[in-house]
Amino acid sequence: MIELGHFAAILALCLSALQGMQGLRGRRGPAGMLALMAFGAMVVSFATLIWAFVRSDFSLALVANNSHTLKPFLYKVAGTWGNHEGSMALWCLVTLGFGAAGALLLKTPERPSFDARALGVQGLVAAGSLAYLLFASSPFLRLVDPPLQGASLNPLLQDPALALHPPMLYLGYVGYSFVFALAAAGLIENSVDRVWAKTVRSWAMAAFVPLSAGITLGAIWAYYELGWGGWWFWDPVENASLMPWLIGAALMHSLIVTEKRGGFAVWSVLLAVLAFCFSILGAFLVRSGILTSVHAFAVDPTRGLVLLIGLLIYGGLALGLFAVRAPLLKGGPPWAALSREGALMGNNLVLIVATATVLLGTLFPLIAEGFGRQMSVGEPYFRLTFVPIMCVALVALPVVQAWSWGRVDLSAIWKWAAAFAGICLVFAALGVGLMDIPLFAALGLALGAWLICGSLWELKRRAVTWPRLSRLPLRVWGMTLAHIGLGVFVIGAVVETSQRYETTLDMALGDSTRVAGWTVTLEDMRTVEGPNWFSDRATLTARRGGQSVRMQPEKRYYPAARMPTTETAIHKSPSGDLYLALGDRRVVDGQVRWTFRAYFNPLIDLVFGGVALMALGGLISVLPRRLALARKRATETEALPAGEPAE
Amino acid sequence: MKALIAALLFLSAPIATELEGADEARAQALMREIRCVACENEPISQSTSEIAGNMRERVRVMISEGASDEEIRDWFEGRYGEFVLFRPKARGPGGWLLWGAPFLLLVGGAALGYGVMRGRSASAEEIQAIAPEDLSDGI
Repeated sequence: MIELGHFAAILALCLSALQGMQGLRGRRGPAGMLALMAFGAMVVSFATLIWAFVRSDFSLALVANNSHTLKPFLYKVAGTWGNHEGSMALWCLVTLGFGAAGALLLKTPERPSFDARALGVQGLVAAGSLAYLLFASSPFLRLVDPPLQGASLNPLLQDPALALHPPMLYLGYVGYSFVFALAAAGLIENSVDRVWAKTVRSWAMAAFVPLSAGITLGAIWAYYELGWGGWWFWDPVENASLMPWLIGAALMHSLIVTEKRGGFAVWSVLLAVLAFCFSILGAFLVRSGILTSVHAFAVDPTRGLVLLIGLLIYGGLALGLFAVRAPLLKGGPPWAALSREGALMGNNLVLIVATATVLLGTLFPLIAEGFGRQMSVGEPYFRLTFVPIMCVALVALPVVQAWSWGRVDLSAIWKWAAAFAGICLVFAALGVGLMDIPLFAALGLALGAWLICGSLWELKRRAVTWPRLSRLPLRVWGMTLAHIGLGVFVIGAVVETSQRYETTLDMALGDSTRVAGWTVTLEDMRTVEGPNWFSDRATLTARRGGQSVRMQPEKRYYPAARMPTTETAIHKSPSGDLYLALGDRRVVDGQVRWTFRAYFNPLIDLVFGGVALMALGGLISVLPRRLALARKRATETEALPAGEPAE
Repeated sequence: MKALIAALLFLSAPIATELEGADEARAQALMREIRCVACENEPISQSTSEIAGNMRERVRVMISEGASDEEIRDWFEGRYGEFVLFRPKARGPGGWLLWGAPFLLLVGGAALGYGVMRGRSASAEEIQAIAPEDLSDGI
């Protein structure tokens, strides 16, 4: 059975290579067919892997090393990609999936040879990934002497969010491979123009949305599974996924100028290439294990090297092509520094510098080690560099999003400055004076409110009158939602990081302690058994006012993997999460006592909700053109009889 | 222990208030900046290892003895090396590069962008201002 999968993967490799050749020669039809066939072959191949995991076929080395008969069904399936080889197989599946989607959906009017070349480059990328899968990390290896039982999946990964997190992240990473293919095709065809930008925008969003979702799922998982009460640790693996996200955000904004005005063409192409390079770099940083991380679960140095070489080949070829063709690209109409173009250039500058900062902070310990200096770069560094740099863009955002193309009339700028100063003063006075929160936190909240109010104001400005709100193009709604999401995220992040309450409890049965306004009582402590684990489960009652909730944090032990995990108990309330994690058992003076880590995380849902809004905004802004046109037609026919003057 | 859980400014009532010493808040902030020497990539505030417990205790003791944040960081650096500081010091060419590069890049990038723009821009009269919504239906 698994040999069938192995064969199918080899077939997919051959088909992808053929697709690359046909596509680069400009044959849209055959390239598309081959892309669909390659995807079909890979689906078969991946299905046999899942089947082997479901059946617990321990004659397959991958299953023996990563699965266990007692594991719940969901995690048997998810275990397929919870390891290096399997995750690379998933990577290939997603790459070929994007190729197939491209074969079906990529129909640029009057440019069949552009489409063909994009599919060709995508085929080469897919062939490279498949070669890496088959020759450097084959999941299809058999064991001569199969064990009776498997070594099980790292129990930390046996979690619903983590079952979904890698596929989402890969959809994002690999999505940029198609953006890369479009950029390369645009360079080959010398057709990086407004039509090109329009096409790339949809595909860039098809990568950006799942990448956002993947990062958020990872953060949510870290929040409730690692038991530290936090959601972002500036860990190398987190940074590795943040960098392509930031580049992707820069690309979204740069493409607006390319699509609407024909400007920034060179820059947009460069970002499209970089987004993919950073995705591979991310995979390299995570897989190679050259950076110590708490998140990397499938590490292998030699394979990391192969990935790096692949990155150099693909990235180098693309950048070489870029260097040759970039001087031929045309710019848009002229513009002044203070204009919509200038504002979007500023947005890109900030996002790129922020990416460079994350890259520098992530790689710096490695570089310093080369010079014989052992250093660590952690959260304080990013808080003091990345955050202020991003704040520059956030303060400017509400002002500049109304600016016109070409040049802007600055007569209203004082009103904006006064409005911003006013919001800051109100928040500072209320926050510091009345509620006694630190000044920087009060200003952070002011910034969040500024972003939300500014976005709503811009929405109203574009609609002119309230009833016209429903007739705004979907893109305006998308932009508004994304920027509101940014504001919501800022508020959540500021409140959560500045006002989080953190303590260690030490309790015997029956003891009560106060945690951030809650009274927590340890009621019961018992051992329970699950399918492939047993655990110490504490039962606590948390009371506040007349409210009483039962919370059951656990410490699980997975005998197959010989590993403990923390199962936190989280009570959600509108003001925030009460969060308990069970610690160690101690005997003090003959009395059994338990330690708990207790946190109160105010408004943490705004952090995740803000990112979700950003992704939703992105999604809405690229809803199929047909839908937007249908809407437009509907509103036009509705508007005409009313006799409103046309704009 | 950390002093307060403040309310969001949008809500009328505070979420919860529990005042305790500002010293504990300082201790916790420091613990988030000092790296556990036995773990992969964790500050001592998170680590469950025994040595992290001792390091936490050391922070509390030093604060109770009246040490400043800087003195505590220096003590840990002297004992375990620069490696334990998650907030690397701006010392030596490397340290200055690390802390300065982001801001230099921002200023340099802005200058570069302005230069490129000036290089290709026409005189102000030639530039047409077009409201963003006028192009919203684009191509």
